[in-house]
Formats: sequence, structure tokens, C-alpha cells
Amino acid sequence: MHIYSDIKYTLRGLAKKPGFSALAILVMASGIGLSVYLFSFMNVMLFKPMPFEGGERFIQVFTSQNGSRIQGTLNLHDYHEIKQNLTGVSTLSAYRNQTVTVSQQDGTRRVEATDSRANIFSFTQTQPILGRTFSEAEDKVGAPRVVVIGYELWQNMFAGQATILNQSLRIDNEPHQIIGVMPKGYFFPYNANLWRPLRDNVEQVSREANAQVRGLLLRDEDTSITELDQQLKLIMQRLEARYPTANNGIGAYALTPNMISADGGMAVAYTMHIAAVLILILASVNVGNLLLSRAVERSHETAIRVALGAPKGRLISQLLWESIIICSVGGFIGLCMIGWGLEVTQVITNQFYTDRPPFWWQFGIDAYTLKLFFAFLLATILITGLLPALKSVNGDFNAVLRDGTRGALGKNAGRLNKLLVIGEIFLSITILLVAAVIIIASKKATEANYGANIDNVMVSRVQLPDNQYDTAERKVAFVNTLKASLASAPQFKQLIIASALPGMISHRPSIAVEGKEYIQQGKASYPRVNHIAVSAGSLKHLEIGLIAGRYFNHADDQPNIHTVIVTQSFVTQLMNTEQPIGKRVRVINDSTNTLQWATIVGVVEHTIQTRPNRIEASMPSIFQPYSQTPRDSMVIATRINGKITPTANTLRQAVHTIDPQLAIYHVELYNAALARHMAPLAFVSNILGLFGLASFVLAGCGIYGVMSNTIAQRLQEMGVKRALGANEHHIMREFMYSSTKQLLWGLIPGLGIGIALGFAMSTTLNVSQLELLSIAGILTVGLAGVVLIATYIPTKRALDMEPSHALHYQ
Amino acid sequence: MSDLIIKLDNMSKVFFADDLETHALNKISLEVAKQEYIAISGPSGSGKSTLLSVLGLLDTATDGHYHLADHLVSNINKTERARIRNREIGFIFQSFNLISDLTVEENVELPLTYRTDLNKSQRKDKVTNALKKVNMLHRVSHYPSQLSGGQQQRVAIARAIAGDPKLILADEPTGNLDSKNAHDVLQLLDELHRDGATICMVTHDPRSAQRAQRNIEVLDGRIVLDQPTTLNNAAVSA
Repeated sequence: MHIYSDIKYTLRGLAKKPGFSALAILVMASGIGLSVYLFSFMNVMLFKPMPFEGGERFIQVFTSQNGSRIQGTLNLHDYHEIKQNLTGVSTLSAYRNQTVTVSQQDGTRRVEATDSRANIFSFTQTQPILGRTFSEAEDKVGAPRVVVIGYELWQNMFAGQATILNQSLRIDNEPHQIIGVMPKGYFFPYNANLWRPLRDNVEQVSREANAQVRGLLLRDEDTSITELDQQLKLIMQRLEARYPTANNGIGAYALTPNMISADGGMAVAYTMHIAAVLILILASVNVGNLLLSRAVERSHETAIRVALGAPKGRLISQLLWESIIICSVGGFIGLCMIGWGLEVTQVITNQFYTDRPPFWWQFGIDAYTLKLFFAFLLATILITGLLPALKSVNGDFNAVLRDGTRGALGKNAGRLNKLLVIGEIFLSITILLVAAVIIIASKKATEANYGANIDNVMVSRVQLPDNQYDTAERKVAFVNTLKASLASAPQFKQLIIASALPGMISHRPSIAVEGKEYIQQGKASYPRVNHIAVSAGSLKHLEIGLIAGRYFNHADDQPNIHTVIVTQSFVTQLMNTEQPIGKRVRVINDSTNTLQWATIVGVVEHTIQTRPNRIEASMPSIFQPYSQTPRDSMVIATRINGKITPTANTLRQAVHTIDPQLAIYHVELYNAALARHMAPLAFVSNILGLFGLASFVLAGCGIYGVMSNTIAQRLQEMGVKRALGANEHHIMREFMYSSTKQLLWGLIPGLGIGIALGFAMSTTLNVSQLELLSIAGILTVGLAGVVLIATYIPTKRALDMEPSHALHYQ
Repeated sequence: MSDLIIKLDNMSKVFFADDLETHALNKISLEVAKQEYIAISGPSGSGKSTLLSVLGLLDTATDGHYHLADHLVSNINKTERARIRNREIGFIFQSFNLISDLTVEENVELPLTYRTDLNKSQRKDKVTNALKKVNMLHRVSHYPSQLSGGQQQRVAIARAIAGDPKLILADEPTGNLDSKNAHDVLQLLDELHRDGATICMVTHDPRSAQRAQRNIEVLDGRIVLDQPTTLNNAAVSA
């Protein structure tokens, strides 16, 4: 009965002050909504175990280069060594992701495929809905070609035919027998829609053939990732000692599959978690302050209740109901916001990839989100409700009844108000600094100069199947025929053919410059560079600035000519800025083990061959004519004036004429492709931007609220001082001085922690210390402005009141 | 005019709230001579506190003229009013209105800190003198919460007189005190008056009003009675 009447009384009180109630609910909704959303988002991206039994123990093995975690692939023989020596692991498999061309009578299409060991399906213990998966016997060079297809492919290409088994499917122009169909939603290990045996075995493939695979393992429950890392380190050190050239600087490390998207960026991820907690605290402090001001306002009423014999527990319960209702309603709105936000996130993150994102990126309100939501809700109820309730019932009620509000909460509430302001400043400057660092990083990355003119360029990809284009001559012939075929097309006057354009990751072999020695601590230590194959004219058409020498021309395509163009960064970093033209460089090529020197004929501007915010962005590059270093995968691009479709159609037709089995894919505008690469960072930046904005608004409103509350409580004091002759300047100066002190108390530790978090992120995000300190300076000025305005406005309003009214204010 | 410290001509104060006009003061004319001790009495809501607020420049009148020590002060700006309150007027409130965070000494010094013509030692001398007058010098380091009501009011009186004001305005100075402390405070006001202070005291206690030289009774915003008090006259006659 008491509870019912308490709720009724609280609801009546909230309805009486709709502005206050709406503000408190909105603040709580944004606090809970933003923080739980971010936790849920990060959980799906980084921490949620794979949705299979033992999924939390799935581990990927990647290679590092000179200690830098580059998520590189393993030489098949290195993988084999790891498999032989690694302990604490129950299953170990190898796989390769690739995009393959699947042909049928109605045309070809690109499909994401995984070539793997036969045991890859044992990780997930998933059975095919039709047929079987492949066996170890089928995983050998020369074994019959078999394929397991995904549900989506089965439906889209075969209309879900029940008789699909044993039918033939042409993949990269090779017939494969379909032996199984996997269930709907199965894309393991990443986004595969068909699975084939790897067919590479150490007994049949030489180390020098340099077959690359990814490692996947199921660790034992009592084996940690750190232990695996230590073992991998030792194994790779032994391999480096055994193969000092081929394995120069190569290490290996373990990573859970969902950590792939944040590898090297965990400082950013943890900082975002901290920001999420801080925003929740900030919102709670704000609501707590609003409730505290209500408690102060109602202290006379509370005193009357005490005088009438209300027990303390009952008073606390009445005040707590206000917090429970506000937090619950706000929380429910927040939960709706979370659901909507995660839905939008699903749509946005799907656009990060041209095909499909990793299959575990399923955003929505899951059990983790709900558990966290209720935990946060409970915490906010306690934070926001208990303090004002206890403060309110522990006042000097006799004094309240005798003198109005004076003396009841005055001194303690004043101290609490100061703490609230300091806390809000501390929290907001920390969140703002974190947000600003990511926003700056994103802006810098988005506006980065890749070294080429990226506007009005259509890009597309083509993959030459290695079974059909198995020699350098065939690859070169394809390119030459394509160039000849497109020569008459006006859209392809500025034809670009390259293994990678600026902004795209390229092959990164070790190289040697003639006359230099590369020995460190008794081991070979060749530098790694981007090694890019380009057709003649490509660099010019990309408008990569020529600094010295010349661009490639047709003379470079002649037999026995070996030429390279290097970037200015190559000269600066690897040649001690000596005159580069005419000097020679050599790619340390393990597959052929040749010692082929190439002469530098030109120097061009530095190009970025990764995301601009990555540390590898400063890695130098060398360009070599495609005819000298032909590749399977290439980008075909041209500068266009109009729409992309006619140009793409012309290209498709030309390629189809040369080889009907080849597909042109990922056709898009160059700058759009680069923007897509930066989309994850831009997305995180937008989220953090929202956090920053929310924290700024919350802090601004909160500080204003606390200041208004403080000033309202000190109105009589102001009246007394004015009666004693203090003029407006005296009073204003006094409040401004007090605010400045609170600002400094909150700002100094906030800046300390914010800058520390900023430093932690700055390496990953390529933000300099000077930029970080500049951001800190600007934010300090901004926040100081907010605090001073939040003090000035209520003080001025109070000073507009006649002193006699202030004296009698209750 | 030179003997007058206060001269009000047809002073009115109207409060507006929700289309309702309340005439707190209605065309009041009043003259108070220097070194005079007047009591303003009347029932609750009669306008006596509003009158005191207007006299103390804590509130502005809606109409009429107010001369304070030969200066027309009805239309001066806020800064000048603050300066006059600081230099010319001393306030004593019913609920003492000491600042709880400041010590006795700091409370008394507070109005002096708003003046630029006094250095620290001059301020200290004035504070010491004022506290000596009210016999509170032994409590300089105490906070208001450590004092009794009577002691707090004595500190408030010290604060009011520390700047040597021409006029002391007391709003129910004994309202929150027991009879013993009330008697002590009234005696202190008598002493200040004897030393030459002009005092205007709002009170609804007839015995307190009798200690003044002249009693002005206010009702519904008008002065309904203005006459010398019998007790004081008797004392003068005696």
C-alpha cells in the first residue's frame, strides 16, 4: 500500500514539473543508450565468441614483420612447423581466402571462397545439409577437384536444386564436383560461400614455392593466447635462424578471429570503452544533480514529513522512486535507441565490404546487451537516487522549519555541488579529448594525399586463374592483348593497369640497394617495401608526380630490361638521399632465388599503399613494369568524364573477348573505394563525435544546472552581501573565481587522463603529440567558456533580482 | 534639509503578480532627522519591511522621491546604490544573516572588503573596534554556528557598524532572540544611538518600539501614526 501511494505521489510530482522530468529522462536515455550501444557494438566487433561450441577458443595465426603485427599469411612450410611444435592446441588447420570466378551457362560471377584443410569443418562441427564435406584424401595435389557450396550460392545459382550433388561447377575455369551444401548462414571462417580442399601439402609443394596460408586453431581451455604467442615466437625464431633470408624478420602471433578488425588498435577500443563508461557516469551525475536540486527544493516538505514522524526508510524510498521511474523510463527509451542504433550499424557496417562483412557481425539486442543494460540501469538508479535521498533525509530539519531552506543542506550541498561540477568537467574533458583524437585521425585519413589524383577514376579488378595463366608470358600476353583491345576506346585513353593503386595494400617483399650492407646483430635485415607492378603510362595517368628521371615507357617492356621507379620516400629512407637514378635495387625473391638487379630510372612522389592512418603508410614503394613482374591479380582503371557504366561495359566486353571465363569485379569509383577503406574509422569517428557532442551538451547542461542550483541556494547569501554593499561586479567576480577554481580542479586531472588516453591512441591513429596538445588546448578553452557562461548566466539572473527579494528568497 | 537624513515624498511601491497589483507602500512621506531613533511598527503584511527595504536601497520604489543625506537616491544606478549601502547604511536582520563559511572576524570585515579606501590594517582596526563595542572580541575566530543567537546578533550589529554608517536599519533585530538576548541587543542599539547613530528599527513588539524616540505605525502601506514614544519621552523628561 505504501509503495502504491509512494509511486502515485512520485508520478504526481513528476507530472507537476514536466520540463524537469523530460530533461532528466532524456539525459538518462542518452547516457544509458550511448554507453550500452557502444559496449554492444564493441562486443560484436571484438569480443563475442564465434557462435559455435568452443567458439571463444578459436584462434587465428598471423605473421608479423619486424615485430609489427601485419596480419600476414604463413608460408605453408612454416605453418607445418607450427603444427608440429605447437602444444596446448586440439585442432589446427590451414586455409586461404580468395575470390574465385564461378562460371555457368548464364555467365560468370565472383564468389568468396575458402581453400582449406579437410578439418576446417570440425571447428564448427557443422554438418552439410546435403552431401558431405571433403576428406583428407581429397586434400592432395592431383586429387579430384571437389567443392562444398554455401546455401546462398545453392539458392542463387542453382535455385536450391535437390539434385545438385555430383554436378560439375566451373571454378576459375576448372571443373569441380559438388559434394555438399552447407546450411543457411554458414560462412566460416570469414565470409566464404564455397569451400575447396587446399590441395597444397608440404610433401608436394616446396618451401621456395612460397604457398601462403592462414593458420586456424582451437586452443585448449587451459592454454592462454599469451602462452600461444610465446610458443609461436620461439618456433618462428628457430625458423628465422634456419632460413635467415626467407624468414628475415618474420614472426607469428595468435589472435581471436573477431580481433582481426581491431588488431593493433586495441588501445582505441579500450579507450572507447572508457568513454562509454564515462558518458554513463556523466549522465548519472547530471540526473543525480537534478534530483538533488529537487531534494533541496523539497527540503521544507521533507522536514514537515520528518516532523510528522515519517520514518527515514520511508523518506528514502519516496525519493528513490523518483530515481527509479526516471531511470527506468529513460532506460527504456535508451533501449529503443540502442535497438535502432544497432540496426543502423548493421546497415552501415555491411557497406564496409563490397561483398559481405564477417559473418559474426550480427548487431542487435542480444543477451549481452540486455544483461549490460539492466546492470547499468541498476547502477544509475543507485547513483542518481541514493545520494540525493541520503542527503535530503540527513539535513537539519529543525533549521529548515525555523528559517526556510537556510542551514539545512547549505554547506554540505554546496560541497557536493562543487564536486559535481568538478566531476562533470573531469569526465567531459576526458571524453572530448578521446573523441577529438579519433575525429582528427579520421579527418586526416579521409583527406590524406595518397600521392595520386584519385578523382574521376573508375577502378575494377581482374584475377587471372593460376591454372590457366601459369606462366609470366601468359599473364603479360593477357595484359598486352587487353591494352591493344582498349587502345581504340576513347574512355581508356588514360588506361591504368597495376597490381595495386595508391591506398591499396600491395606485395611487400624485402629488397636490397646495391652497395648497401644489411646485417644487424649477425642476421640479414633487409628493408621491406611496397613492390607494385604497373603498365607503362599508369603512373603518369595516376598523376603521381615525377621528381627525377622518367616514367616507364614501352622500351621497359623489352626482354632483359630490368628497371624500377622508386618513391621519394625510398630515396630518403633507404638511400641516404644519394643520387638515385642509375643505382640498382634487387627484390629478395624467394620463389626463384634469382639475383636480378633492376636499375632506378625515375623517382616519383611518395604513395601511400595502405590506409593513411596505418603506420605502414610511410613505407616506401618501388614500381616495376608489369612485363617484368607479372601478377595474377590486378587493378584496371581509367580516368573517366561521365558515368561509370558505359566504361565498365566496354571493359567487360574487351575482357570477355579475350577470355570469356574472366570476370571484372569490384567496379567502382576510385575515391569511393578509398572512402570505403576508411569507412570503419569514419564510422567509429562519427560514434565518438556523437559521444563528444553528447558529453559537451551533458556537461554544459549539467554544469549550468549545478551552477543554477548553487546560485539558487546562495541567493540569500548574495542578498546579504549586496545589503552590505557588494555591487554586481563583486558578486560576479566571486562566483567566477569559484567556478574557475572548480574548472581547474576538474580540468587538470581530466586533461592528464585524456592526454594519456590520447597518447595511447595516437600511435595507432597517426596523430602527433603536437596535434594532441593543440586539441587539448582548444578543448580547454571551449570547456572553460562553457563553465564561465554556465556561471555567468544564472549569476546575472540572480543579480537582476532586487537585493530585498534575494534576502527573503526561499 | 541639512538636519534630515531621510526624506520620502509620496513614495509608493507596487508589486505586480498575475495581473494583480499589490500596493505595499502607498504614497508615503516621511522625514527622519540625523541621530534620531525611530521604530516602524505594524501588523504582518502592513508594508513595514518593504519600507525598510526601500530606505536601505535594497528595493526600488515604484513612484515618489527619496533623499538620503541630501542626495536624491530614488533614481541612481545599481552600482551607486551598492556604494551607498556599503558606506552610508548598516543593516541588522532578524535572522542575523551571517555567512556560515566565514569566521566572526571575516563576517564583520566583509562589508569593508568592498571598499577600496581601506587597507588591511585599517580594516582590522575597524573590525576590532566594532567587535569591542558589542563585546565579541573574544570570539573572533569562531564560526556563526558556534555562537548562540544573541552572540550572532551582536556580531551582526558589529558588522553593521564597522564601516561607521550614517544610518542603521534593523529589521526585527530581536525577533529570533529570547527575552534576555533581546534586551541585550536593544541595549546595544540604545548605546549606538547615544553615541550618535541614526537608527530605523522595524518591529512588531510594542516594548521594543517604546525604546525608540518616535514610533511610526504602518497599515496597508500607509503611515497611520507618527508620534513620539512615551517611554523614551518619559526617560527624556526624567
